[in-house]
Amino acid sequence: MPEYLVKESGLKEFFQSLANGRHLLTPQGTGDKCKLEEAGPDKVNLDYSNTHMSPKSAFFPQSENLMAFHNKSDKPNPFVYQDLGDKAQPTVIFGIRPCDARGLSISNRVFQNDRFTDPYWKGKYEQTIKIGLACASPSPQCFCAAMGGSPYGELGLDVLAFKVEGGLGLKPVTAQGEELIKQTNAAQEDLAQEIKKQEAKAIEAQGVGTDLKPIDDKDLMELFQDPHWTATAENCLNCGVCTFFCPTCHCFDIQDEQSEQGGIRMRNWDTCMSWLFTVHGTGHNPRPSKTERVRQRFMHKLKYIPLKQDGIRGCTGCGRCVVMCPVNIDIREVALKMCQPPAQSQA
Amino acid sequence: MPALSDINSKIRESARKLLADGRAEVVIGYRQGTVPMTTSPMFARKPAECDQLIWSNFARINLANYLPGRPGKVALVAKGCDARSAVGQVTENQILKDNLYIIGVPCTGMIDTNLVLAKETRPIKELVETTDEAITVKGEGFSTEINKADVLRRNCQTCANRTPKLADELIGPETPGANPDDFADIKALLNKTPDERMAYFKDLIKDCLRCYACRNACPLCYCPICFVDETRPQWLGKSTDPMDTLTFHILRGLHCSGRCTSCGACETACPVNIKVREFNRVTELTVQNNWHYEAGQSWDQKPPLTMFQTDDQADFIK
Amino acid sequence: MSDFEPKIVAFFCNWCTYGAADLAGVSRLDYPPNFRVVRLPCTGRLNPKFIMEAFKRGADGVWISGCHPGDCHYIAGNYHARRKFVLMHQLLESIGVDPNRLRFSWISSAEANKFQAMARDVVEHVKACGPNTTFRKEDLKLGLAEVA
Repeated sequence: MPEYLVKESGLKEFFQSLANGRHLLTPQGTGDKCKLEEAGPDKVNLDYSNTHMSPKSAFFPQSENLMAFHNKSDKPNPFVYQDLGDKAQPTVIFGIRPCDARGLSISNRVFQNDRFTDPYWKGKYEQTIKIGLACASPSPQCFCAAMGGSPYGELGLDVLAFKVEGGLGLKPVTAQGEELIKQTNAAQEDLAQEIKKQEAKAIEAQGVGTDLKPIDDKDLMELFQDPHWTATAENCLNCGVCTFFCPTCHCFDIQDEQSEQGGIRMRNWDTCMSWLFTVHGTGHNPRPSKTERVRQRFMHKLKYIPLKQDGIRGCTGCGRCVVMCPVNIDIREVALKMCQPPAQSQA
Repeated sequence: MPALSDINSKIRESARKLLADGRAEVVIGYRQGTVPMTTSPMFARKPAECDQLIWSNFARINLANYLPGRPGKVALVAKGCDARSAVGQVTENQILKDNLYIIGVPCTGMIDTNLVLAKETRPIKELVETTDEAITVKGEGFSTEINKADVLRRNCQTCANRTPKLADELIGPETPGANPDDFADIKALLNKTPDERMAYFKDLIKDCLRCYACRNACPLCYCPICFVDETRPQWLGKSTDPMDTLTFHILRGLHCSGRCTSCGACETACPVNIKVREFNRVTELTVQNNWHYEAGQSWDQKPPLTMFQTDDQADFIK
Repeated sequence: MSDFEPKIVAFFCNWCTYGAADLAGVSRLDYPPNFRVVRLPCTGRLNPKFIMEAFKRGADGVWISGCHPGDCHYIAGNYHARRKFVLMHQLLESIGVDPNRLRFSWISSAEANKFQAMARDVVEHVKACGPNTTFRKEDLKLGLAEVA
């Protein structure tokens, strides 16, 4: 697909046409205040490193009501759970970083695949056009390239936007994305070389990533039984920060809540770092200590997801967990340990 | 103004000696983090590993958190507040005094990363720290020196006991305490109307994700099963309902009352920068007013809620 | 708000205040029926989460009552409880809960008259506070059109 260009003077009009008939979410604020919000087409911030939290909550909110019942006997269907339906509306999200978009595509395959379709995710995901903004200047915690992505990656996006001299370049990725671009004031322009140039520079700025191929090659049980896990987990506080901020963590907990009027079935983010996550009704817990829980998280990201999703790693290298972790457990260091032959990783 | 490298080498020397003498099986200290302005807990078990131990202006997590229930002899690199937490854990029978060796580091306060980010809004790619009085942050095309006194954590600004007085050894000379916490802001808050106070506390926790990082970073929170994880019955809803969240913070505040050493680990750990300690400070003020008790000041003091006086005052009970 | 009938959760010690409530009953002493009693073995059994649970579920007031200090059936249960009460009372008041919604008393099993007076006092004060709208869980947003 050909690239498009919006001149700096036309940016306002461009965002206005994106917002035409749709909700337009853009990153607002800087630093740890930066989040995706609907702030109108006139207030678009192109200068942010990344949103504080991953954009997954736009499709998979921390708490989401699924079904409800009422107890009014004089009204139809008392005490019967009814689907709360899908209230998704046409939306454009502008400014998803490629790492987060990659995360969305990974979660998408969990929520929509040949075995299951999650209607709550599907409704929102399919009505949203995702426009990414490429990262020209990576942060110290960024390592998307090492995880198989790129600061100019396209996976999970409909359009990839990138800053160019005097404007904003756009590269449609899907037909839906190109359709949208054609409705705007963006003009066709050949920017293929420009993207390549910028991408190479950004990857170089990230530094050489670790080659994680040994993890792919190693046997699952060998990784699982590796003795380094006790030491790796020793720091861990077992809070849920990494999972809540992770763009690919998608585990949830279904809860029923009742009041005097009726009840609701909701799902909430859950975290594998929690003791409660795996405890059985009997009181038995298959992951009794933090070692098993920490191992689960990293094995899931670096081994189980690649096995299930054609080699795509469950970590996208956004670096949120690295910065947010109160004790700075760095998934890059853990991945390195997983790469080591068993004898060396014991130390 | 001791250089950090001096403190580092003294910590390492001490750690090596403790491991070699068998006085400790493990030394819990800090090592350099992987991104600027972070440190990570370090468990040194072999003398060679001690070279990774460091001291930093960002040694914020309270390492006493790793003590409860730990078998064997352990040495702990501790600031004033961390040492008080460790002493508190001894008085609460979480670890044997004989198994604990405190390598006390007289502290000059730790830095709040958010204050640094507020002062230097450009992306920080590198940190240089050589002394415990100032840091330099660097990024593309800038290098800014920041005076530590301007970016201290809230709890460090009002820490009267920066020197770990009950430590088995001190690394370097004692450091003077800051102005003690006079709870002026809490007292001012209490003069507001009940509605204003309710609004203040509800606003305080509105961003809470219920990740429980504050709980897990807290050296006081060592219950095998936390009340938020109880399921039979389940006391708290799992959503981010404001009242469920408020209940968590209130109950956490009550559980920690008379035990908090104001180490600030909870606020450091909080990913959404909630002033979690506000609840604890209300209870600490109450404890100090009623029972004149401060946690971790001596080995043989009894926590105020494990004891009573027959003439305790409680006029509100009719 | 004069016809507002509050719902109050009362936690009574089995040995004293619960007995006082019994004595008030058999003595035909008249007291308002606005509270539901949870019987505890001792006020020392009271966990702060009980109070929070009551408020969270919409109680307009909570009343906790046990033996006079020194009279505890378990020697010292209420001495320990007293320290906890100080903290709960202070923290909840600081957070903005009207102290009239959270009441504490010591009533022995012989003090039926004090029980009657205290019950009236508690209910009267909670009535004056009005319904608890701020310190409770909001009604679930069922989102079902026909219930709205």
